[in-house]
Amino acid sequence: MAFIEVSGISKAFAAKESVRHVLDDVTLSIEQGEFVAIIGFMGCGKSTLLNIVAGLLEADAGEVRIGGERLRGIPKGASIVFQNYSLLPWFSAIENVRLAVASAFPAWSRARQEAQSRRHLEIVGLGNAIHRRPSQLSGGMRQRVAIARAFATEPDIMLLDEPFGALDALTRANLQEELAQLCSAADRPVTAIIITNSVEEALLLSDRIVPMTRGPRATLGSPIAVAMPKPRTAVQLAHDQDAQRVRADIVEWLAAYVQHSRKTPRRQALATQREQGISPVLSRSET
Amino acid sequence: MVSFSARGWRALVGRLLLPVSGVALAALLWSMTSLSVPELPSPWKTWQESRVYLLHPLEKRGEMDQGIGLFAYYSLVRVAKGFLLGILIATPLGLMLGISSTLHRMFDPVMQILRPISPLAWLPLGLVLFRKTEPAAMFAIAVCSMWPTVVNAAAGVRAIPQEYWNVGKVLRLSRFTMFTKIVIPATLPYIFTGYRLSLGIAWLVIVASEMLTGTPGVGGFLWQEYNSLIYAHILLAILTIGVIGFALDRLMRMAESRLRAI
Repeated sequence: MAFIEVSGISKAFAAKESVRHVLDDVTLSIEQGEFVAIIGFMGCGKSTLLNIVAGLLEADAGEVRIGGERLRGIPKGASIVFQNYSLLPWFSAIENVRLAVASAFPAWSRARQEAQSRRHLEIVGLGNAIHRRPSQLSGGMRQRVAIARAFATEPDIMLLDEPFGALDALTRANLQEELAQLCSAADRPVTAIIITNSVEEALLLSDRIVPMTRGPRATLGSPIAVAMPKPRTAVQLAHDQDAQRVRADIVEWLAAYVQHSRKTPRRQALATQREQGISPVLSRSET
Repeated sequence: MVSFSARGWRALVGRLLLPVSGVALAALLWSMTSLSVPELPSPWKTWQESRVYLLHPLEKRGEMDQGIGLFAYYSLVRVAKGFLLGILIATPLGLMLGISSTLHRMFDPVMQILRPISPLAWLPLGLVLFRKTEPAAMFAIAVCSMWPTVVNAAAGVRAIPQEYWNVGKVLRLSRFTMFTKIVIPATLPYIFTGYRLSLGIAWLVIVASEMLTGTPGVGGFLWQEYNSLIYAHILLAILTIGVIGFALDRLMRMAESRLRAI
């Protein structure tokens, strides 16, 4: 049995006079130490899935098992990084990190908690901004604080919900590589799920990429393995043969849904397209 | 020499000249009215008759014949006591009503009924309960002024973004830590708005309660001078009440904007 087992998850939200079915029978297994990217369009239900794995939302059907145990509430030893940073504005960077450290390691002395927080802020390059409030930090720096906070609790599981979605392209590229290094450098296996709408981000970070169909009733496609050694760099990925093949696979898969999503049921659409040998046009692979 | 640019002049006019001319116009209107209404003392007459109170604000000549500074001090102390008692009850109550929707649904009707009751109605009840004027006044102030704080604290808790609750959950904060590190800081600006409004009400109540109980203070002084037919002093008391109320509001606004600056 895999470390994280997501089986048969369905989730619907009540809207005005109707029900919005977001997820339909989502199943996914993740081995310990594996880095999985879930890629899909905006609003397809990726975040809903992550929130369910994070214990922030309850599924209508199906279950999540972590280490064989059925998930109830927030999983132990999990850190979550949100797209909107979710820092507390009334605390400085180090206070934000220390709040997490103090909660994860209540037995530690205050000095040790402080040192742990400081060290992780230094790792993400914020050594001389630790006393600044989030409002005095740029978007990239805020997300660095959030990443430091996530790693400072020494998690076994990292859940990343479009962590770089709100950042400009250059900052994003930097942070992606830093995150890749942090995950590889950890002295314990870190199992991670990243939600993204960027094929490059998925390629850079993950061992396996799982495409998600467009909602409503979104579900997962079959995973695509990324075999290249880690940590990877963007430059390396630009010309790598394997990377190009995987990129093409994902783009093709996603594009198939764009073209036929409104007219025909999804699974059929994909099948028809493959049969007819249509080469899908990349229209919205990256949003 | 200071030379003003055009913008500097405009700022000066906007900040100083316009408010001052507004006050001057109001004084003019007052003078005109006093010409046609013989009972209403003119601004000049008010000043002449009030000089001794204003120029020796801390002089005590008798129980009900003291400098305006002393009267204001008595009133402010009374307000401070009642206001502190009020917010000591109102802050936790508001936070609780904000956190628990069950409690909110339970007590909202009670609150809505108690809120519009005039201080003049509470005071006799306070006198019956406490048999002394001081605690009765404190009671009336507390019970009248607490509502804006209750309402604002509750609204503040309900306005905490889901994001912050999620942070608390994800970091597995204890209930206590969640309360002290997230709920309180997130609600503080709302609570302070409540305090400001509450203080305003407390200051309204004090005058009424002093008039009813005849205790020394700005309100007590006002009522006594009405009974002694010295109308200029009524105006003195009215203006004092207004100026102090304005100053209190300004002070609370300053405290509030400091909190919001975070």
